[in-house]
Amino acid sequence: FRLNIEGLLVYFPYDYIYPEQYSYMLELKRTLDAKGHGVLEMPSGTGKTISLLSLIVAYQKVVEELRKLMDYYAKQTGVKNDFLALALSSRKNLCIHPEVSSLRFGKEVDGKCHSLTASYIRAQHHSNPSQPVCQFFEEFDAVGRQVPIPPGIYNLDDLKDFGRRKGWCPYFLARYAILHANIVVYSYHYLLDPKIADLVSKELAKKSVVVFDEAHNIDNVCIDSMSVNITRRTLDRCQTNVETLQNTISRIKETDAAKLREEYRRLVEGLKEANVARETDIYLSNPVLPDEILQEAVPGSIRTAEHFVGFIKRFLEYLKARLRIHHVVQESAPQFLKDIYEKVCIDRKPLRFCAERLRSLLRTLEIADIADFSAITLISHFATLVSTYSKGFTIIIEPFEDRTPTIANPVLHFSCMDPSIAIKPVFGRFQSVIITSGTLSPLDIYPRILDFRPVTMASFTMTLARTCLCPLIVGRGNDQVAMTSKFETREDFAVIRNYGNLLLEMSAIVPDGIVAFFTSYIYMENIVASWYEQGILENIQRNKLIFIETQDAAETSMALEKYQEACENGRGAILLSVARGKVSEGIDFVHHFGRAVIMFGVPYVYTQSRILKARLEYLRDQFQIRENDFLTFDAMRHAAQCVGRAIRGKTDYGLMIFADKRYARADKRGKLPRWIQEHLTDGSLNLTIDETVQLSKHFLRQMAQPFRREDQLGLSLLTLEQLQSEDMLQKIAQIAQQA
Amino acid sequence: MGARTDKWRSGIKQIIIIIMDDQGCPRCKTTKYRNPSLKLMVNVCGHTLCESCVEMLFVRGSGNCVQCNTPLRKSNFRVQLFEDPAIDKEVEIRKKVLKIYNKREFDFYTLKEYNDYLEQVEDIVFNLTNNIDVERTKQMMEQYQRDNKDIIQRNKAKLTREQEELEELLLQEQQGSEQRRLETLQEEQRQLQAKRKNKQALLDELEISKLPAAVLLAQHKDRASQLETQIEKQKQNVKPANIFSTGIMMGQTVSLASVSRVEEVLYVYQPLCIDTYGPPVPELDQLGRLGYLNHVRTASPQDQAGGYTSGLACHRAVQDAFSGLFPS
Repeated sequence: FRLNIEGLLVYFPYDYIYPEQYSYMLELKRTLDAKGHGVLEMPSGTGKTISLLSLIVAYQKVVEELRKLMDYYAKQTGVKNDFLALALSSRKNLCIHPEVSSLRFGKEVDGKCHSLTASYIRAQHHSNPSQPVCQFFEEFDAVGRQVPIPPGIYNLDDLKDFGRRKGWCPYFLARYAILHANIVVYSYHYLLDPKIADLVSKELAKKSVVVFDEAHNIDNVCIDSMSVNITRRTLDRCQTNVETLQNTISRIKETDAAKLREEYRRLVEGLKEANVARETDIYLSNPVLPDEILQEAVPGSIRTAEHFVGFIKRFLEYLKARLRIHHVVQESAPQFLKDIYEKVCIDRKPLRFCAERLRSLLRTLEIADIADFSAITLISHFATLVSTYSKGFTIIIEPFEDRTPTIANPVLHFSCMDPSIAIKPVFGRFQSVIITSGTLSPLDIYPRILDFRPVTMASFTMTLARTCLCPLIVGRGNDQVAMTSKFETREDFAVIRNYGNLLLEMSAIVPDGIVAFFTSYIYMENIVASWYEQGILENIQRNKLIFIETQDAAETSMALEKYQEACENGRGAILLSVARGKVSEGIDFVHHFGRAVIMFGVPYVYTQSRILKARLEYLRDQFQIRENDFLTFDAMRHAAQCVGRAIRGKTDYGLMIFADKRYARADKRGKLPRWIQEHLTDGSLNLTIDETVQLSKHFLRQMAQPFRREDQLGLSLLTLEQLQSEDMLQKIAQIAQQA
Repeated sequence: MGARTDKWRSGIKQIIIIIMDDQGCPRCKTTKYRNPSLKLMVNVCGHTLCESCVEMLFVRGSGNCVQCNTPLRKSNFRVQLFEDPAIDKEVEIRKKVLKIYNKREFDFYTLKEYNDYLEQVEDIVFNLTNNIDVERTKQMMEQYQRDNKDIIQRNKAKLTREQEELEELLLQEQQGSEQRRLETLQEEQRQLQAKRKNKQALLDELEISKLPAAVLLAQHKDRASQLETQIEKQKQNVKPANIFSTGIMMGQTVSLASVSRVEEVLYVYQPLCIDTYGPPVPELDQLGRLGYLNHVRTASPQDQAGGYTSGLACHRAVQDAFSGLFPS
């Protein structure tokens, strides 16, 4: 039905609307009107994504209409919407070439694709038809560009179908179609990772609205996209790369010296490559560089191919020498640069151009199989990053892993500590950036660590016809021993036994599925082992089957499947999993798949990691965020993410049991999302196991009563008429809490 | 049988790889694997020898390389830093070359010239490392050294601009960490003091006050929690010691390249011409002759001591009187 939101006509696809959805759209509209950025938190399962899309679609149309000065309504009531929305993914997911798509790893697919579509390969194909090329790409290149993709909504399979029908390559089609699309859906990396963003998202208009959905982990994604890890293996592979380069250069010099001369001439003149024309070649993009550098010519010391290879060699040998250490070294980028100058006479400037220069060389040498050159590319990215950014990065060289201090396995972590570096271009470039997720509390920390000024920050609660979630904080066992996963007491026999008892008691009263989260794999292993010894596991298995998440993805998905089967047929099951693991991030346990979530302990990160320590220090110095605040914030967002798995909508219900006495403290409790906090009364703090069981029994019995749509209507579910009533609008205004 | 042979073979292969991988002395065949304390040395020719072999072969202080027969000196042996001895050699050469070719970016007018120069340097290093045209290149270097004696001497102590930036950054880092350390130290002390004071106050109150102890304890607790929140940071600026008062870094070099001349018309003086709208005023030295001075007070010797003459005042008075006499 149609909604009028502050003068904007929004088409909403369902007959009923939740009050918070209306409120959410209201806030979103204000953000877009103010042309600013926003941070919005709304509980999962309350229709966040649909509200988002409805409003933005409506908005785009208005913008478009205004520009064209055409009659808005005539078009809307007309036959069809001329709307193009598509999803974009990697070559691996979109390739329809019979040989290439059969490859298993993304890297292989990319390499193979490149070896079939690069411009010089295609040029060779012209003179020598036996040279294989990808017919899908040829077809697309010949006609696909002129004929626009018909409007509609395309997911990955639709794109592939369309490509098959037309004989066009879906990947390049999608990349090209982005320019005309009204809505593009893709992974964060296409926008944040500087290596990819440059070629995929460069052409997006400034007026585009960027929405990061499920963005509670956005800072980690930003950091990952800018960090580089180099091991001894990387260096060895890089060494082979260098040798290949050297051989190719000397071969080309004998056969086709003009090519190298041509490249050299181009570099001397400092011409930027005409990169628009040859999209298939721009494969190795450079990390974000200041513009003035990109305009400048490549420094003379790495202009010729031989000199550049010599330069890379020196850099490589230097890294090798650095990796041969026996103790941990931590240094800043300037320190590293100074040392590298003293040891191998490498200046900062040529380092900065390293990625760019390598790209040019690889193209000149016409090396088709680029997949093998990932090592040297990585090294060149590292060189460019380390010389470009003097702040916000740290270099940590560890001779061995913490867990195996006897086995030498040196790693160089070039770690980004400032998530704002990666996301800055996004905020700067686009008019409105919306960050939204079910768990963003405390809201004010995101603008701080991402370094931007939002115009709206709002947290929405769930309007409920019945309290369908029941958060409980269990602090003690029946023997009054405090329950906590604190480091000092986590090996304590009594704590482990109490955790076991809690799970045992719950398994007896909760129907169908229970999901239990531990703080780490090791902790889970220890606890399960001692439960086994104490016989607790055996008792639990009388009530429900037990499945365990492991680090192996295949094993885990198997366990999940069987868990669901057991829930389905009424046997009931328990899934033991790990916070920050795969289950906690991506899997929903709707209805009977998760009637209770138990969070054993507070999921703090492994605080002894040096990278984390460096990051905490940086946060303290740059953003005035204390270590403890950040650690707690991080732990609580993961805890909230875990327990949020069970409630996926208003008809759903579930217990949320926090089994650690530390949750009762104000600093932890205050960092939970508002929609959980609301239901956390003083009566549900610091309970014993007995009390928990009593409360849970009561809650479950209440929830098991039949619940119909009519019960919801008018309270948490609205028709259009109800929405337009005056007192409802007032109520709605209270839903959003401005932070 | 076949499988076992394969396994055996691959085992052997692995061992061979380990040996190949491991660096060793080409003369005595000792490897790092067998002798972990093995120290490999490199000389100017880029070939390795272990420390004991060097001691043995170069007892007299000089000798020839075992592999390439280049005459070498013992004093030129260095500990091998890199896995590839060629890099050691190259770096050695490069350092030597860079000592002579030490022009900086600001010695050139355009970036292009500088880049050409950089490439030339790179060429020289490349030739020397790979033994191409060694004689000619060396001659070239000597020639250059003779031609550019002054510049080389002058640039010796200077850093490139980028290095300067780096040094500055490092300094900032150091100062930052030092400042933070001081801050936290002060903070801790302040907190400690405040807590001690609070405790003392409680004891005193318990001694004197008539209120029940429970109330006092509660008050104390309140105060303590307030204290925790109250403690504020007072940033203290640590003055950096190596910045001139102008804010320029000590040791920072300023570009000495001659400023390019700006061609423009020179300034020519033109005497001032004032239209007074009155009769012409007599010159200062003619005032006496024309009799104007008879009507003013003559200057006393005291007045004249300061350089005053009666003519000055008179001249100004006449100027004032004449100007504007003819209405325009």
